[in-house]
Amino acid sequence: MRAGDLLGFAVNSLAAHRARSALMVLAMAIGVAAVVVLTALGEAARSYVVSQFSALGSHLLIVFPGRTETSGTFPGALTGATPRELTLDDALALSRRPAVRRVAPLTIGSATVSWARRSREVAVLGSTSEFVEIRRFVMAQGRFLPSLDPRRAQPVVVLGSLVRNELFGAANAVGEWVRIGERRYRVVGVLASQGQSLGFNTDELVILPVASAQALFNQAGLLRILVEARSREEIAGAKAAVIDVLRTRHEGEQDVTVVTQDALLATFDRILRALTLAVGGIAAISLAVAGILIMNVMLIAVSQRTREIGLLKALGAAPGGIRTIFLTEAVLLSATGAAAGLALGEAGTAVLGKLYPVLSVAAPAWASVAALATALTTGIVFSALPARRAARLDPVVALYRR
Amino acid sequence: MIELAGIERMFVVGGQQVHALRNFDLRIADGEYVAVMGPSGSGKSTLLNLIGLLDRPSAGQYRLDGRDVIGLSDEEQARVRSRKMGFVFQVFHLVPRLTAAENVALPMVLAGIAPAERRQRVEKALAAFGLTDRAAHRPDQLSGGQRQRVAIARATVMGPAVILADEPTGNLDRATGEEVMAILDRLNAQGVTVILVTHDAQIGAHARRQLRMLDGALVSDTAAEAMTA
Amino acid sequence: MRFEDFLRFSLGTFRSHRLRTVLTATGIAVGIAAVILLTSIGAGIHRFVIAEFTQFGTHLIEINPGKAKTHGAAVGMFGIVRPLTIEDARALARAPDVEAVVPVVQGNAEARANARTRRTAVLGVGEAFPRVFRYRVAMGQFLPADDEATARPLAVLGSKLRTELYGDRNPLGSRIRVGNARFVVVGVMEAKGQMLGFDLDDVVYVPAARSLELFNRESLMAIDVSYRAEAPLSRVVAGLERILRQRHARDDFTVTPQQQMLETLGSVLDVLTFAVGALGGISLLVGGVGILTISTIAVSERTTEVGLLRALGARRAQVMALFLGEAMLLAALGGAAGLALGAGLGQALRLALPALPVHTPWNFVALAEAAAIGIGLAAGLMPARRAALLDPVEALRAE
Repeated sequence: MRAGDLLGFAVNSLAAHRARSALMVLAMAIGVAAVVVLTALGEAARSYVVSQFSALGSHLLIVFPGRTETSGTFPGALTGATPRELTLDDALALSRRPAVRRVAPLTIGSATVSWARRSREVAVLGSTSEFVEIRRFVMAQGRFLPSLDPRRAQPVVVLGSLVRNELFGAANAVGEWVRIGERRYRVVGVLASQGQSLGFNTDELVILPVASAQALFNQAGLLRILVEARSREEIAGAKAAVIDVLRTRHEGEQDVTVVTQDALLATFDRILRALTLAVGGIAAISLAVAGILIMNVMLIAVSQRTREIGLLKALGAAPGGIRTIFLTEAVLLSATGAAAGLALGEAGTAVLGKLYPVLSVAAPAWASVAALATALTTGIVFSALPARRAARLDPVVALYRR
Repeated sequence: MIELAGIERMFVVGGQQVHALRNFDLRIADGEYVAVMGPSGSGKSTLLNLIGLLDRPSAGQYRLDGRDVIGLSDEEQARVRSRKMGFVFQVFHLVPRLTAAENVALPMVLAGIAPAERRQRVEKALAAFGLTDRAAHRPDQLSGGQRQRVAIARATVMGPAVILADEPTGNLDRATGEEVMAILDRLNAQGVTVILVTHDAQIGAHARRQLRMLDGALVSDTAAEAMTA
Repeated sequence: MRFEDFLRFSLGTFRSHRLRTVLTATGIAVGIAAVILLTSIGAGIHRFVIAEFTQFGTHLIEINPGKAKTHGAAVGMFGIVRPLTIEDARALARAPDVEAVVPVVQGNAEARANARTRRTAVLGVGEAFPRVFRYRVAMGQFLPADDEATARPLAVLGSKLRTELYGDRNPLGSRIRVGNARFVVVGVMEAKGQMLGFDLDDVVYVPAARSLELFNRESLMAIDVSYRAEAPLSRVVAGLERILRQRHARDDFTVTPQQQMLETLGSVLDVLTFAVGALGGISLLVGGVGILTISTIAVSERTTEVGLLRALGARRAQVMALFLGEAMLLAALGGAAGLALGAGLGQALRLALPALPVHTPWNFVALAEAAAIGIGLAAGLMPARRAALLDPVEALRAE
C-alpha cells in the first residue's frame, strides 16, 4: 500500500468515529501539554537562577572564612565565627596577585538608618569601589563609593532604591547626611532598582566603605571576599593563588573555603535540571495513561471492524499490511494529539510568561521533542497489540461473523 | 487450473469436531463456470474459502496453475489472492464509510497501484456495471442490487482469473438476482473462471457444471457424469 | 432496580468486555497510583523534616540579635550595632515559665589533640544545652554549671570529632587545643547523626564566654530558651520581650518560637505535597478522558440493549443511572487498584531506599479514591445522558 493511501485510509476511519478520535487526541494533548508547560516552568526557574549568577559577574571566586572536613556540606552551610578572620589586609594581599583582576571585601550587618524623623532597619553592606563592577550594579543617582584607600573609614554611604524612597520620598537624597547606628554618613549615590538577587533584595541595602562598616559594627573580620579572575582560563590559577596567599598569611593553616562561581552555578544547575526532569517525568506518566487509552480503543476498533479486516484480507491484504493500517491510525492519533498538546503547551507557556514576566518561560526544545517522541512511541507501543490482533484475525471467521 | 486432492478440513465447534470436508478431490479448468450446491452445512462455503486461500485444509493438496499454494506463507497467499482471486459475498461486505468508487478502488489501494491508473480503472469498472452515477454514494445510499454490483466491480477490478461468489443473490429479490447473474455470465463469457456457491437450483442452472455436496463430500458432478455418459 | 441487581448487571457487562474493562480501570489506576506515590513521598519528607526539627524539642524559643524585617535574622549573625550578651541570657532565665536558657555562639576552628588536627565546628554554649536540646552525654559529663562569665576552660566532644582525634582512646581528662585556646575534655556526647547536611557530631562544645574570646566577638549569635510545656506561648514570648526591651531600651532582637517555625515549615511542606499530588493528578485527568471515551463507545455499541431495556419498562432515569453507575464503578475499581499499586510501590520504595522517607497519608488515599469516583461520575455523565435520551424504537431498529 502507498503511504498516501495508507494515510487517507487512516484519516477516513478515524473520521468515521469523530467523538472517540477527538477524545483520544485530547488525552494525548493533555499529557504533552503538561510535559511542555512543566518543563518550561522548570527551565525558566533554572535560567532565572543562572542569569542571577551571571549578574554576579563572571570569573568570580568567593572566599569564605572557615573550612569543614565533613564531606558533602554545601559551602553555604558554613556559618559562624572563626578564630582567625578574613581581614581587609588579606583582601588587599589578594588584589596584588597577577591572576586577580578585582577584589571586593564584604562585611554585612544590620542597623537602623534614619533621616529627618524617618528611620528604618536595613542590612548594611561594607565593601569597596570595585564591588559595583564585580556585581554589575547600576547607579540611579550620584556615584558609587570613592576608590580611595579602603582602609580609610570615610563617612559616605550608597543607598538602595527602596531605602531611598522610604527615607526621602520625593526629596533629593544625594548630598544629604543620614544617621546609621550612632554615626553620620553623607549619601553619595543611589542604586538603581535591581530587584531580587539570589534572595537578597539589593533595593533594601545600604553600602558603606568597608572600613566604615567595620568601625560601625566594631569588628575586624570580613564575611567573605569576592575575587574576580582576569579571565575564564585563569579561574583555577586565581583559586590556587588565593589559597596560597591566605595560607601564608594565616601561618600555614588553610582555614578558608574558596568556591568558584562556576562550581556553585553548576550545583544549582544540576539540582534544577534534575527537578525539571523529575517534574516532566511525572507529567509523562499521563502519556502512558493516554497510551493505554489508545490501546483500549484500538482493541475495540479491531473487534468492531472484524468484518472489514476479513474483507481486506479477502481482497489481498497481507497480515503485515493490516498491521500497518492499524499502526498508522494509532500514530496519526498520537501525532495529532501531540501536535495539539504542543500548541496547548505553548499557549499555556505564553500565558505563564505574561503572568510572570520575571521568568522567561519557554519550553526547552529538548522537552518538546521528548514529549513528541514519547507520545509517538507510546502510540506505537500501545497499538502494537491491537494491530497484531487485527493482523492475526482468521479471515473466514471475520467474514462470516454476524 | 485448480486441482484439489485428498482435502480434509476439520473444525472444532463448541468442543465438538466437525468434518467440513472429507477426502475431497476436484479439478476446475480455466474458464469453467461451476456452481456448488447443497444444503446448508454441507461444506460449500468452506470449499470456496479453501479455493480462495482464505482458509487452509487440515490435510490434502491444492495446486493452483500447477503450483502448490498450501505451503505458501500468509504474505504470499495474500499476493495470490490479490492477483488471481475476486470475492463476491452474500452480504456484499462493502466498507460503509467509503464511497462506491473508493470501495471499488480498495484492492488496487492494497496492491499499491498508482492513483492515476486507479482512477481510470475504477471509472471503467463502474461504467461496465452501470454505476457511474453512483460513484460518490456510500453503501447505505445504494440499493441491494447496486451494492452487489459495486462488490462485483471491486472483485473484478484487479482482473482476476477466478471469481468466487458465495450466495451472491442470497440477499436480493429474484429480478435483481437475475441481473447480478447476468453479470457473472458475462464475466465467464469473457474467460474468467466463475465458482458460485448457492442452494438455489435456478441460480445454479446458470453454470455449465454443477457440483452437489452433502456432509463435506461430493455427491455428484455434472462434468463427471458427462464423461461417464 | 435493587442495588445488588444493578451490581450484578454492571459486573456482567464488565465480564463480557474483560480486556476493555481492565484497560480502562488501568488508566485510572495509574493516575491514582501516581498521586498516592507522590503524596506518600511528599508526606514522608514532611514527617522527616519535622522530626529533624522536633528532635530538639518543641518548647523552644530562639532569640537572635537584630530586628528581622524581610530577610529573617540571618544578617544579625554577622554584625549588629547592639550585641546580645551572656548577661542578657542570664536575665532571661528569670522570665516567667522559662525552664532553661542557653547562650549560643557558633564557629569553625581547628581542633588539635592527641597529635591530630581537624577543622571542626565549635559551639559555645551553657551547661543547660543538653536539657534544652535533648542531647545525651555518652561519656563523662557535660560542661558544669560554672558562672558563665568566668567559666573554666573545659570542652565536650561530639562523637565524630572524638573518633577522628582519639580513635578508641579515652579522651576524658586530656587536653585539646581549639584555635589558640586550650581546654580539658570532660565529656563525649552521644551520636546524633546528620541534619540537613550538617554533621551534628563533628563539633566541640565549649563555654559560651570562652568561645566569644576565641572568636574575638562581643555578641552571642543566639539565645535558646526552653519553657514549661503547659505555659501559653504568647505569655512566654511576652515575658522574654519585656526583659530584653528593658535591658536594650529598644527592639533590636528577634524572637522565633520553634512552634511557629514548625508551623510555617509544615504549611510550606503541605503545599509542596499537594503540588506533587496535583502533578500526579494530570494522569488521573487523562484516565478520566479514558472513561469518557469508553463509555461513549459503550453507549453506541449497546444501543439495541438500551432500546430493549426501555421496551421492558425501564425509565429514562434508570437507563441514565445504569450507565452512570457503570462508569463510577469502573473508576472506583480502577481507583482501588491504583491505591493498592501506589501504596505497594511506596512500601517497596521504602524497602529499596531506606534513606527516602515515605509515608502514605491516609486522608490523601480517601481523597484520591473520592476523586476517582468523581471522575467516573463526570466522565459518565454525557454518555449516560445520551443513552437515556435514545428513542427506544430507533434504538431497537439499530443494528
